[in-house]
Amino acid sequence: MPASQRDITGYCIVILCSLAFLLWLIPGNMPEHPGYGIPASLLPSVAALCMLALALAGLFRCYLTLRKDSQTDKSRLFLPAHPLHLPVFILPCALLMPAMSHAGFIPAGIAFMIIIQLACRQRRPLILVAVAVAPVLAVYATMRFALGVPMP
Amino acid sequence: MFETIVAGIADTLNAANLCFVLAGVAAGMTAGAIPGVNGPMAIALCIPFSYYMSPVAAIGFLVGLNKGAFFGGAITGVLLNTPGTPEAAATTWDGYPLAVQGKGEKALRMALYASVTGDAFSTLVLIFVAAPLAAVALYMGPPEIFALICLAMTIIAGIGTKSLTRGLIAAAMGVLTGTVGIEPVSAMPRLTFGITELERNISLIPIGIGMLAFSEIIIQLEQHLGQKAAAGPVPLSTRPEDRLLALKEYAACLKTLFRSSVVGTIVGALPGLGAPVASFFAYDQAVKNSRHPESFGKGNLEGIAASESANSAVVAASLIPLFTLGIPGNVASALLIGAFVIHGMIPGPLMFEQNARFIYSVYGNLVIANLLLLGVGRLGLRAFCRAVQVPSNILYPIIIFTCVMGAYLAQYAAFDVTLMLFFTVLAYIMRKFDYSVICLIIGFILAPIWETSLQQVIIASEQSPLMFLTRPVAVMLLALTIYIVVKTVRRNSGINK
Repeated sequence: MPASQRDITGYCIVILCSLAFLLWLIPGNMPEHPGYGIPASLLPSVAALCMLALALAGLFRCYLTLRKDSQTDKSRLFLPAHPLHLPVFILPCALLMPAMSHAGFIPAGIAFMIIIQLACRQRRPLILVAVAVAPVLAVYATMRFALGVPMP
Repeated sequence: MFETIVAGIADTLNAANLCFVLAGVAAGMTAGAIPGVNGPMAIALCIPFSYYMSPVAAIGFLVGLNKGAFFGGAITGVLLNTPGTPEAAATTWDGYPLAVQGKGEKALRMALYASVTGDAFSTLVLIFVAAPLAAVALYMGPPEIFALICLAMTIIAGIGTKSLTRGLIAAAMGVLTGTVGIEPVSAMPRLTFGITELERNISLIPIGIGMLAFSEIIIQLEQHLGQKAAAGPVPLSTRPEDRLLALKEYAACLKTLFRSSVVGTIVGALPGLGAPVASFFAYDQAVKNSRHPESFGKGNLEGIAASESANSAVVAASLIPLFTLGIPGNVASALLIGAFVIHGMIPGPLMFEQNARFIYSVYGNLVIANLLLLGVGRLGLRAFCRAVQVPSNILYPIIIFTCVMGAYLAQYAAFDVTLMLFFTVLAYIMRKFDYSVICLIIGFILAPIWETSLQQVIIASEQSPLMFLTRPVAVMLLALTIYIVVKTVRRNSGINK
């Protein structure tokens, strides 16, 4: 995707998000104005309006330079990743806390580390086990005995 | 006054505090030496652990971490020809050729001494300049603070990023994020979407870890997975003339060191520019002022001295706007604000009145961290060089686990892990579309101060925003903001033409 196309896509996403905030999220999630000072909705609305105005200005500028860009800018700046790249790392992290509360800190932690290492293409079994066990035990010992914090 | 200074220094010299500063310097050097790990990432990961330290030890640990990481970045640059951090890029230009000649250790020693020199200079400037500036800043009222934050955000968005428009959009996103939670006037929940956990306001920890550490790791994994391992580090020679830096060689660089330290201090004190600008500018000046400009890029020690002293001078200098105005100059000081707040301090001019003892202990920590950097660097240079060899598929899973546990440790809340993952995804998308995550973080930090000052203006002026026009300093700052916006837009359109 060339830079101009990437910028246009980005600005369109910002416009949609700022419109969602201005028309739906901000009006529906604000406390009553107590009658003095600025209303609670002022700063979020100003921020969302700024996002909208700047994205529209950026989009307009992209439109003006699009023709020129399409002739000169052949660079591929935004290479879309494999669609599963992000979920492969995010999903195990999202499941780690529930898994720890059900299965316990150490088993869930070791399973998590093995999954993440496999996602990082670690295939050597000895390293896989060592790197899965050592950090989990170290963090467990630190949290339980050194810091004395409640375990997840 | 004298008693306060002595008490502050005594806090610094406490054995436990010295151990934490030493640990911070060593951890920072290791983190900086590992390709792909940088100072802000290390600070974001370690802030949750600083909860369990005393305020002086926590700030000392984080300051040591930051200083160590700045020098550690040079190790990767010199030995692998791959700068671990953007500010180490100029160090690579002369460091790697020296390493190829077998003089890698000499180059690293020059980098170490230059870092210590630059840092010592900017620490002295901070100590002598911050208190008088803070005294002046105390005369600023809410309109001036509001205008100053407008100016700071514009500078950070305009100069510190490639596009002013995208920088400002990111800062606005940060402000929007900063308004989630309890509204300061009515004390009622705002933008919480019925989620009770959001009523505690969003903490900086999940944002910092998600946006600076986890998203960076995911991007790096995307780039490096499946690729063959890069060439190993250049081996270090054992010959004394290749290993050691003679006093004569250091003395020959004194002029460059002083000039670059001044550059680094000035750049660091200005919000938004950051260490890479200081490093490149100082290197450029060193080339222009040299009698042998043709030797730069081929292994000239002066090139390393210029780059390293300038980027290390930024560390202490970036605390000048933080201590005097409460405005972070770069992402590391933005994260330090979070650490200050966690330990009950609000950075700004009032700190000199309310927490004078703490300020002097921070000064003491800066000096001690610099001395420890010199000691640890001299004794353990070869050991830290081994950190560049840690394979990424061993290192990254450990960092990811630390990210998750660090987010949990902030408030012992699984919800903070969810927030961290949300901000990881947001930062990943922002990086893909070339939006600055640093602007978002700084916007998030400044939003409450901005809103409070606006509230004070509106309440004091009985709902009249025209009060700004009666304050000449505020008008001047707002005019300067508009001037920078216009100038940046014109400069960008000039570039596009």
